[in-house]
Amino acid sequence: MSRIKRHGTDGSLLSSLPWTLASLALALLPHVIYLPVWISAAFLACGLWRYMIEKRRAALPSTWIRAALALACFLGVLFEYQTISGVGPGSALLAIMASLKLLETRKRRDQFVLLFIAIFLVMSALLREQYLWSLPYLVVAMIFIMTAWLRMSAAASESIRRSFATGGRLLLYAAPIAIVMWVFFPRISSPFWAVPIDTSSGVSGLSSTMSPGDISSLSLSNEVAFRVRFDSQIPAARDLYWRGLVLHQFNGRSWKGSEPSMGRRAAQQIEVRGEPVRYRITMEATRQHWVYALDIPYQWDLHKTRMSAQQVLARDFPIDQRIAYQVESYTDYRAGADMNDFVRDRYLALPDSSNRRTAELARQMRRDAGSDGAFINALLALFHDEDFYYTLQPPPLGRNPVDNFLFDTRRGFCEHYASAFTVMMRSAGIPARIVLGYQGGELNPLGNYMIVRQSDAHAWAEVWFAGRGWVRVDPTAAVAPERIELGIAESMFDGIGLEWGLSAPSKFLHQMQLRWDAMNAQWNDWVLGYGPEKQNAFMGLLGMDNPSWRKMLLTLITLVIGLILLISGILALRYRPPPPDRATILYRRFVAKTGHQLSIGESPAAFAMRASTGSRLSADTILDITNSYQEARYGGVDALALQRLETQVAAIP
Amino acid sequence: MSSIRWTFPSVSGLFPSIGAAATRRVQSWARNRQGLDPDHIELSARRTYILPTGVGMIYALMSFAMLMGSMNYNNNLSFLLTFLLIALGFVAMHQCQRNLVGLDVSFAGVEPVFAGQSSQFRIVVTNHSKSPRNRIRLYVDTTLSDIHDLEPGESQVFVIALATDKRGWVKLKRFGIRTLFPFELFRSWAWLHMDIRGLVYPKPLDDAPPPPASQMALGHRQHDARGEEDFAGLRRFVVGDSPRNVAWKAYARSGQLLSKQFSGADTSSQWFDFSEFDNVGVEERLSTLARWIIDADRTNEDYGLKMPSDDIAPAHGEAHRHRCLEALALYGLEHE
Repeated sequence: MSRIKRHGTDGSLLSSLPWTLASLALALLPHVIYLPVWISAAFLACGLWRYMIEKRRAALPSTWIRAALALACFLGVLFEYQTISGVGPGSALLAIMASLKLLETRKRRDQFVLLFIAIFLVMSALLREQYLWSLPYLVVAMIFIMTAWLRMSAAASESIRRSFATGGRLLLYAAPIAIVMWVFFPRISSPFWAVPIDTSSGVSGLSSTMSPGDISSLSLSNEVAFRVRFDSQIPAARDLYWRGLVLHQFNGRSWKGSEPSMGRRAAQQIEVRGEPVRYRITMEATRQHWVYALDIPYQWDLHKTRMSAQQVLARDFPIDQRIAYQVESYTDYRAGADMNDFVRDRYLALPDSSNRRTAELARQMRRDAGSDGAFINALLALFHDEDFYYTLQPPPLGRNPVDNFLFDTRRGFCEHYASAFTVMMRSAGIPARIVLGYQGGELNPLGNYMIVRQSDAHAWAEVWFAGRGWVRVDPTAAVAPERIELGIAESMFDGIGLEWGLSAPSKFLHQMQLRWDAMNAQWNDWVLGYGPEKQNAFMGLLGMDNPSWRKMLLTLITLVIGLILLISGILALRYRPPPPDRATILYRRFVAKTGHQLSIGESPAAFAMRASTGSRLSADTILDITNSYQEARYGGVDALALQRLETQVAAIP
Repeated sequence: MSSIRWTFPSVSGLFPSIGAAATRRVQSWARNRQGLDPDHIELSARRTYILPTGVGMIYALMSFAMLMGSMNYNNNLSFLLTFLLIALGFVAMHQCQRNLVGLDVSFAGVEPVFAGQSSQFRIVVTNHSKSPRNRIRLYVDTTLSDIHDLEPGESQVFVIALATDKRGWVKLKRFGIRTLFPFELFRSWAWLHMDIRGLVYPKPLDDAPPPPASQMALGHRQHDARGEEDFAGLRRFVVGDSPRNVAWKAYARSGQLLSKQFSGADTSSQWFDFSEFDNVGVEERLSTLARWIIDADRTNEDYGLKMPSDDIAPAHGEAHRHRCLEALALYGLEHE
């Protein structure tokens, strides 16, 4: 025998290996867009290689080759990610481990490890992103993994259909137990430790700087930024300003804010009036700290979230997962009424060397107006009455962008107007800053909630008056009031969308989109957002008001045990031996009448021999009945024998 | 199949001595609890035991780790995955036990063998239920039978091969029936204690002296009358045939082991006498006698056996051979 032959595989994995490979591939699929290409390629190559080895009964690669490959791959991951913790590098390592383990899988049972890896990969895929299709994905992946698992130990000749059926049946039994556990397992709101979840692709949020004129067109992403479900009356459209972050440093071209900081006084500086607006926001991941809320948030239930200076909400760590939180806001408020001179100067600072014409104009207008209030009104009137236009595709601006905008192009969107307005205010000695956030939102009548999209992103200004505090002024409203009153999506259907350079989708498509969004919102709300509050509410529906976690665990255990007993009963029914047939029942009746007992394992003939002595029945009767019984039981389809037995047994007194 | 070993450690694998002692105690407890079984029995749930396997332990650990992860990230879908795995574990446990309960197990005999050969106990397992039973295997300690699937209504013969080293009875005091189906997370088994035993003939002596002439009944035949000139034909090799009589040429040609048959003087009959040995131990006498009986049986001559306890009159044939060899096998042993 040659060396290669001796180490060759024996083909015993052929019936299960394709399923293991399919399970792994399915588990890896959602990761592919996040993983470096070479890892997916390595998995595919190793999978194919291993399958060919088994098919051709060839030898597995030697230990040296495998060790070298393992080292190379590990270094590759380290080089790619610079770390090995977190979901990103974790899933990369799992994929690598699966690829390499494939190359040393010799026995059928070694596939256990591969299937464990597949399960972990599925879990990390779920940690990374949760969509509406994630649930069907989870179920399909589990069916594949369980089928592979069954095939690993099943006879090589077992049909795929049968493995599928068994796997599916067991999953069907398990599903109710899992759902009960899911509903009743006590949820806690705070994580034990934070490991970053890598969601590097497809996350959009507000940018933390703003340079009107640099980018000459605004991205009109239709992506959902957050969804809002109002518990109270929905505020008027002109009050729907979703506060994000504040920019206050201007270098002549671009605006910049500060990092979120602990502003202990920021929250105390808010006085509120009127009725609060209560609502719940489900916010998509942004990988930023900012937490959006209606101007101005007063109370919120999001963990590790504080009001930073400048009255913006920020979380201690970036929001890399979809989160839901309850907020109470007041649209009528007074904030930051006291301000010392040092802070005041920060909101007045302007670079000396740029935008001189604007500064000149501001001082001129302030003098003419006589008061700050009149000045603001005059400026808004200027935007409204003169030939200023609202467009999403403004011309680029030159070295002094504000001068350029105010005196030459006069075309722009919210950023241009907010920036120009704030510069004018500061030039006239009025403290001012820019707020970035979202404005408006589309009410989805199908789910009765509001969708706020990335295209609703907005910038407005806040000016400060002594004794009055920060007051919101939206210069864009002066130019394009319909932008504020209708919101960007609805205004598109009035033909304004075309004017903004949008190709307006048909109403039908939009309806479909709304329907899909409503489904997603429900899904996010009830399945992904099933947290402590939702659970409490649901327990309330079941008649348990504010149950302790002990009580919930007890309920969980009771229900699970009940379900398991039920399933055990079903299985017992499925696997029970058939009930005794008529002949056996009659024979037992006869045995009872002889006055003897049938001992275990005794044949009818042996019993007849034993019973014929010392029984009240005659030996002939016993023999006759025994013969009839054997005829009826084992003699095939003789209906007469059974009838005979019936009458004979009945005849015994 | 039986060459596949566990890749994951089991408790008994990690602590062999503790495992062995514990196993013995548990087995004797089960024996006392269940009593002696008849030769035909239906497995009840009461006597079907179940424990997790090494893989099952790892599975439990993994589920726990996943639960911790889900709690940490508060991720409802990964909660669902975790709970699905836990629930599957529970379901697998019940499925595993149900896979055995209700099976009919009956003893289907064992052929006598010569010492040194393995005794093949045949056990028939029947599935009377309407659902298939998967991956069933019988075992005694570390001796495993083949694995069989049992379709509804199907019976399968399982063979447990026990090595023998001395004549007498080989007893199968206890054997187990077990399954790992469906996911090998649990091992479910039942112990059966049937009163079954197989007969072991003495190992025939390979280079036995020829039967002494004085033991020839009539003296017509010479001991070397098995000469090649009396060759009568070939028959299939049976265990116990002398290698000297194997038709090696025929074997090389056909690959089939055949023994040469010689036509002896079938009219003659001879007595083999246990007491007519000088300076030879009991076991060697028995082995020698076994060899003579086999050889005599092959030539189809009549032979009788004189044992201290009783005599077996000269005759020939399969039953006679068995009677003589049984007398040798049980010589000096208590009849049980």
